[in-house]
Parts: sequence; structure tokens; C-alpha cells
Amino acid sequence: MSRTAMEKKGIIFWVLLIVILFLVLFPIYWIAITSLKYPVENISPVPTFYPHRVTLQNYLNVLEGGFFRNLYNSLFVSTFSTALSLTLSFLATYALVRFKFPLRLNYIFLIWVLIVKILPPIVLAIPLYTLFTSVHLINKLVGLVIVYQVYTLPYCLWMLFGFLKAVPIEYEQAAEIDGASKLKVLTSIVLPLTRGGLVATAIFSVIVAWDEFLFALLFIRNPDLLTLPLRIVNFITEYETLWGELMAIGLMATLPVLLFSGYVYRKMTEGFSMSLK
Amino acid sequence: MKKNIFYYLIFAPALIVIVFLTVYPIVNVFHMSFFKYNYLSDTKIFIGLKNFKRIMGDDLFHTAFLNTIVFSVVATFIEVSLGIFLALLFYGQFFGKRVFMVMIIFPMMLSTMVISALWKTLYHFDIGLLNYVLRSIGLKPIGWLINPKIALFSIILVDIWQWTPFAFILIHAGLNTIQREIFEAASIDGANYFKTLIHITFPILSGQILLVILLRTIDTFRIFSKVYALTQGGPGNATETLTYYVYREGFTYFNLGRAATASIYILIVIAFISYFYLRNIIGEESV
Amino acid sequence: MKKKITMIILAMFLVLFPAIIWATGQAEKGPVKLTIAGRDGGYGKAMQIAVDEYMKKHPDVSFEVLKLPGASLYEKVVIDMKNAVGTYDVIMIDDPIATQFQKAGWLTNLDELYKKKGLSLDPDLISTAVKLGRYPYTDSGTLYALPHVGNVELFAYRKDLFQKLGLSKPAKWDDVLDAAKKIRESFPDVYGVVFRGVKGNPIVAGFLPIYWAFGGKVLVNGKPALDSQQALNALKFFLKLKQYAPEGVAMYNSAQVKDALYGGKAGIVTEVWPSWVPKLNDPNESRVVNKVEVTTHPGEVEKSSPMIGVWLLGIPKASKHHDAAFDFLQFITGKEMQIKMADEVGLAPTRDSVYKVAKLVSKYPWYPVQNQALKNAVGRPRTTKWSELENIFGTYLQLALIGSMDPEKALKEANAKMKEVLE
Repeated sequence: MSRTAMEKKGIIFWVLLIVILFLVLFPIYWIAITSLKYPVENISPVPTFYPHRVTLQNYLNVLEGGFFRNLYNSLFVSTFSTALSLTLSFLATYALVRFKFPLRLNYIFLIWVLIVKILPPIVLAIPLYTLFTSVHLINKLVGLVIVYQVYTLPYCLWMLFGFLKAVPIEYEQAAEIDGASKLKVLTSIVLPLTRGGLVATAIFSVIVAWDEFLFALLFIRNPDLLTLPLRIVNFITEYETLWGELMAIGLMATLPVLLFSGYVYRKMTEGFSMSLK
Repeated sequence: MKKNIFYYLIFAPALIVIVFLTVYPIVNVFHMSFFKYNYLSDTKIFIGLKNFKRIMGDDLFHTAFLNTIVFSVVATFIEVSLGIFLALLFYGQFFGKRVFMVMIIFPMMLSTMVISALWKTLYHFDIGLLNYVLRSIGLKPIGWLINPKIALFSIILVDIWQWTPFAFILIHAGLNTIQREIFEAASIDGANYFKTLIHITFPILSGQILLVILLRTIDTFRIFSKVYALTQGGPGNATETLTYYVYREGFTYFNLGRAATASIYILIVIAFISYFYLRNIIGEESV
Repeated sequence: MKKKITMIILAMFLVLFPAIIWATGQAEKGPVKLTIAGRDGGYGKAMQIAVDEYMKKHPDVSFEVLKLPGASLYEKVVIDMKNAVGTYDVIMIDDPIATQFQKAGWLTNLDELYKKKGLSLDPDLISTAVKLGRYPYTDSGTLYALPHVGNVELFAYRKDLFQKLGLSKPAKWDDVLDAAKKIRESFPDVYGVVFRGVKGNPIVAGFLPIYWAFGGKVLVNGKPALDSQQALNALKFFLKLKQYAPEGVAMYNSAQVKDALYGGKAGIVTEVWPSWVPKLNDPNESRVVNKVEVTTHPGEVEKSSPMIGVWLLGIPKASKHHDAAFDFLQFITGKEMQIKMADEVGLAPTRDSVYKVAKLVSKYPWYPVQNQALKNAVGRPRTTKWSELENIFGTYLQLALIGSMDPEKALKEANAKMKEVLE
């Protein structure tokens, strides 16, 4: 197999690769070592490149500080907001792909969703706060699940729209001729065909919800209900920053997502190249 | 006819949620922008277009606007350029490719708050690693977050570190959809690397690149957490952004009228971005 | 097979979702649980001590303590009280903001609770601090909050360095400038002067002692007065001082000021709040044990009057546990508790008698000065718009500090903006 110019990898390539990997990985290495250092070492005027005295105290402090409670909150919120978005958007986009609503509703809806997707969420924050207060959804995880739809739903709608458009209509028609109901067609034919797309979309929706800060900051009041990003910020106080603990919780909070990096990478590549078509 | 009811039924839930979460709030924002409304004292006075005029003439708003544009354009440009560069670099097969690529996407998986805190330590003027390195090779330390001329770019740098991987994998994915035969043919025709790049690769990739540009523009335009965590708009007004402006008017001063007005200006800019998005990426006929 | 699993998962989500909404609505009933919205850092530790002690005595009461940075505490309690959600039973209030809360009628009338319980206010609580919890701001105003932390802004300098240079305690701000210059020149490792330069509240609090000493006023008859000659003199002096401050002073907040002082890198600290420096004489934390004098500010045109910055505790009206919260308030502002919190984390007391406890005075030698300062202290302007005014002032001060705007222009523009706000 002949190699084109673009594929040839010489010495310069490897040097570049090492430089790039260094730039990417060094800050992460820094997080890791900071989390293992004693506080004194972290504010020393001469930075140390590895922990001179290793401690796990930072991790213990974080775990004792209710980490699992926060982890649970984050898991709850990101799982359910993703599940809700995925369900709603799967159903809705199927309708949009296969049916032309009157009054150019398809078009208007998709544009509106796009605008919402681009809109900085802060714009909606105040009216939403008032609205959620009046329906008693403030300071509840379920409230967060619903308000996160502002982020996740537009995202899922647009992603799935791309996937569903790529599904050939012939299978459905065949099934319908065989007498299958619409719902049956949707669940037993369309759903399996778009599974890959659903997973890719779900992963990104989870990441967005996992990292969300603004609405969590505004809508959650009880310490019991704080999500991980809020807990993380708690280690930066006005009087001191607890570097060790901060980095420890940072790593622990990322670990669940980081472990999936390989998977995410594959799914994301699939996801976006499909939605582009 | 029964068939159609099915579509209405499955479309309805998403429509309801979107309307509930966005239509009322946005209508509310428009309504509020005509009032001088302080949330704390509960005074609400109709003042017509006065908010709009006042914000138009507010230096801070101008600075915030300009900073947001600079942030969005510079960050997007660099992220996409680096992404293209990396994608080209990684084209083809080589030893350990998969592992390297997975490593490269680590930054975008980390929580933004942790990333911001991390860079805040690295940027620290007195005890930060970057200045330590500069000092030890005999250079003058840089006021990463304290020099008003540099602070915004320091935040941009963090964004680049976090999100270049995103641009990279998307463009890389696009590159891999191009058939190898095309490159082989070009190389047989005697086209050199750069000629191939300009005449073949880029034209084919343009759709993908444009998509990445738009996705990053949208995201960088909404920059909030990094400013909140790194500089809170300072030093001076050097890193004020539009979202931060709205946040302060709304949640520090509780001037809901002015916050709403600023939001509307943001909406107008967004309408422009959306317009380009629609025209170039989706095209009306496909909807 | 896979088809089915996907289906089942999907179906589960659809069913579970409403169930969960319902379930969370049902939770939260049972014995009294007080939710406290307080500050982070040392304040948070002190609060935790009090809460733990209280629970030992009252096992039937449980607590949730929220420890937040100042700005985010403000934002959370405002939104909560405004919507009468009633999440919080006890809140910490920075005194300049109290006026806003009192005027809005969000806080419970403590006079009534005292009457109801047959108790009266302990005169041991320092009256200047108590007054900050009253509305209107007079000695006979209605009481809405109790003083919890008796902060007063003090001034610190290195006795040892002053001695080496043959300097005496600065009586005027010009002496401070002179000393800062000499320290910078003689000790290359030490910054002449350190203060908070972060925009907003910190830089304003750092600048006000100078501003007042030069005869500047923030508000005169409810109108901004930043465009005066005195104000300009003060700001120009501030910029002169800055030459001897660390280069990154614009990003210095309390943490950095504390580190500089403990680490022996600060010759003079123009703004010290006693709660920042509880371990100043603890050799494990500080490199300047017994080398720092903490005292009141020098004057200039006017005599020094120390600035008070009390953290108050109030009970939001919407709280569902007024009685329990009031009982906790009595406990935490009691003498025994104040001694414990002062001893363990250096929380500044608000009781006259606590300042005279021998054990504490030997640990914190500035206590007599602090007590005196508290009694003579003046507060920041009482206005419902203070947080907004402070932000404006703080923004323009910092613009001047970092040299992005010349001092005349900064003050003029800040003044104009303040006028707009007060319209």
C-alpha cells in the first residue's frame, strides 16, 4: 500500500507529538501531584515538580466532606436530565422528520431551538427562577433536571435530527404494510437503527449536565443538594484556597467521565460525522 | 387522519417543555426591558426605551461587548487552526495512535471549575509555575491575570487548552471520510503536500470546518464560568464579558430591567450568528 | 435482544421520571432542622463549632450549614428572602447590606421575640455593633439582627523593621508612605505596603480608611461626593503608596494579604481585619511571631476613626422555625460561645467582657485596642444601594490603581455612575 505525503511520519512528527502530549498532559499531571501534596508545599514560592512528601489526607478530607452525597446528586441530575431530553427529542425529531406540521411549525420550531441553544443561559435565569419558585421546583434536584433541559434538549434535538434524517424510510414503510402500528415501528425499527446516535448524543448531554454551574449555583440552596461543580467551588474560599482538596475533588469528579474517554472519542467521532450529513 | 394525531402526540411533550422553559422567559425579558425594575425594592416604573439608551452609552457595556467579540473570535480562530493542524498531523496510521488521541481529549472532559482553578495556580504572579519557569530562564515574569492587557488572552489560553481537542477530533473525523484514493491520485499527479492541501483537502473539509467554527463561536460567546472563576471581570474591566455584565446587573445589583435590556442586545447578536448558521450549515430546504 | 433492552431502559425512564418528581415532593418532614447560610473560611469554622456545641445540648435539633463566599451568600439569601421560599432559618449579614434587608421587611423583628420569650438584650453586647442591626439606624430602632462578629478595620506594621530603621509608630499617612519607601529600599524581600486590590468590596474596604483620613466622604446628604478635592488627594496618595506594594496587588484579596503578612513579606498592612490573623503569633503558621503591631489607623486631615464591619445574624421572616432559630442566636452570641470561638478560630467577639478575658488577651494582644476601636467605630454609609455603590466605587478605584484611568477621571466617572444609581 503506497503512502501519500500526508501519511508519512518522520522524526519531526514524533517530536511534535511529544510536545503536544506534554502540553496536554502536563496540567493534568499538575492536578494529580497537587492533590498529593501537603498544604505547605502547595504555597511554596518555588514550585516542586513532584510531591516531596506524599499525603492522601486531601482525598480523605474530600470523602469525609460528603463527596458521595454530591456525587449522587450529580449522577442523579445528569442521568435524568439526559434521559428526559433523549426521550423527548427522540419522539419529537421523529415527528419532525416524518411529518410536515402546518404553519411551517417544523421550521419555526427548529430555529427557535437553535436560538435557545446559542442563547447564554444567564438571559433566562431570572424569569426561570421566578417561574420555578411559583411551581415549587426551586432547591430540588428535580428542578435542576428540568431546568437543564435548557441546555440538553436543544442539543439533543439537533443531534438526533441529524441521525433520524439519515434513517431510510423504506424499512418503516415495509413494516407498516405488514400491519405494524406507528408506535411499534418507532420502537422496534427506528430506535434500534439510531442506537449509535442516541448513545453519542447521550454522552455529550451527560457531560454538559455534569459540568453545569450557573443554574446549580442559583437554584440549589441546601448543602445536601449541591452538585459536584458547586462543591468544587467551595474549596476556593475568600480567605484561602485549599489547593490539595480542590485538585483531589477535581480528579475524583472527573474520573467517572475520564474513564469513558476512549468510548466518548469513538462515539463522538461517529456522532458528529453523521449529524453533518 | 389518525396517523397524524400520532405525530402531534409525540411532538407535543418536547414542544411543551421548550415553550415552558424559554418562551415565557424570553417574553418576560422583553417586557422587563422597558421598566426600571429593582428586584430588592420592588419598584417597577415604565421608562420606555431609556434602558436601551443608557446601556448603549455605558462604557462598561462597550468594553464587555468588545471583549466578548475578541474572546470569541480569537479563541475560535486559534482552536480551529490548531485543530486542523493536529488533524493533519494525526492523519493516517501510526504506532499508538488510538491511545494518543484518547489522551488528547482529556482536557475537554475535565470540569471547567477545576481547569480554571488549576490555571489560576499556574498563572499566579508570585508562586505560579509559569512565572517560576520564566524567572529561572532569566526572563521577566508576566502578569498573566493582573496585567489588563494580558488577562483576557490568559483566559483565551485556558479555553484553547480545554477545547482545541474538540476541534481536533471533529476535523479529524471529517478528514477520515475523505477517500484515500483522492490523495493517492493527487500524489501520482505530482501534487506536493501543500498543493494537495489547498486544492483538495480544504475544499472537501470546508463543511466540517465551518461547523466547528460555528460550534466554538457559539460556545465562546457564552463564556461565563471561566471569567467567574479566574478574574471576575478584572483587573479593571479588562475581562468583562456580556454574560458577566448581565450576571452582575441581574444578580449583584438586582436591576432586572437593565439586565433584561442587556440580554436583548445579546439576543440580537445571537440572531445574526443563527442566521449564518442556518444559511451555511443547514440550508432552509433541508428542514 | 439488544432492541429489547433499549426499549426497557427507555420505558423505565418514562415511568420513573414522574415517580421521582412525586417522591422528592414528599420528602423533608420531621424534627426541627435549622439551615444556616453563613460565610466560608474562619467564619465557617466558628459557625461549625457553635453548631456542634448546640447539638450536644439539644439533640433534637439538627443543622445544615452553608459556607459561602461573601458575594454568593448575598445573592442566595436575597433571592430566597425575596421569594419568601424560607430555606434559611439563620443568615449572616454584612452590616452595610443590613439596611437593604431591613427596609425590605425580610427579617424577623427580634424585639418582639425577646418580649415573647421574656428576655432582654444583654448590655454586654457592644452598642455600636448592636446598632448596626437596628432599623432605623439609631439606638432606639427596631432590632432585626444580632452582632455575631465584631470586626473592625485595623492597621498593622512590623515593629522589628520599624525599629531597625529608627521609625516610630506612624501618626499620619505621610509617615506611612515614608516608612513604606524606606522598608522597600532597605529590605528587598519585603513589600513596603500591602492591601487588598481586588475590585469591588475588597479595594473599597482597603481604601476607605485613607479616604476618610483625607476628609473624603462617599455620600453627603444622600448624594455621592466623590468629586471633591479631598477625595482626589486621597486617591493620589493611594497611588503613591501603591509604588511600594506588590506588583500583583490588584489581585490581592484577604488570602494574599494574610499570606504576605504571615510570610514576613509585608512591612505595613493598611487594612487588617482581626478575624484574618488569628494565628499571627502561632509559630506553626506565622514567621513573624511577636513582630507585628496591630493598632488603629493613622489620621491625616481628620483624626482616625476606625471602620466597623460587623457580621450580623438575622432570621428571615419566611423561616419556619423562628423560635428555634432565636434560641440558637442567643446561644451563639452568648459569652461562653464567643470565648470558645475566639479562642479556637480567632473570631472577633462582640461582647465587651470577652475582650477582657485574660487567656484571649495574651493570645491576641491587640484586643484592648480592638475593643476601644469597636466602641468608637463608624460604619459605612447606610443606604439600600450600598452593594451597587460599592461595586462602582471599587471598579473605578481599581481602574486607577492599575493605571488604566487617571485619578480625576476615575472619581468623576464613579461619581456620575453613583448618581445614576441613586436617582
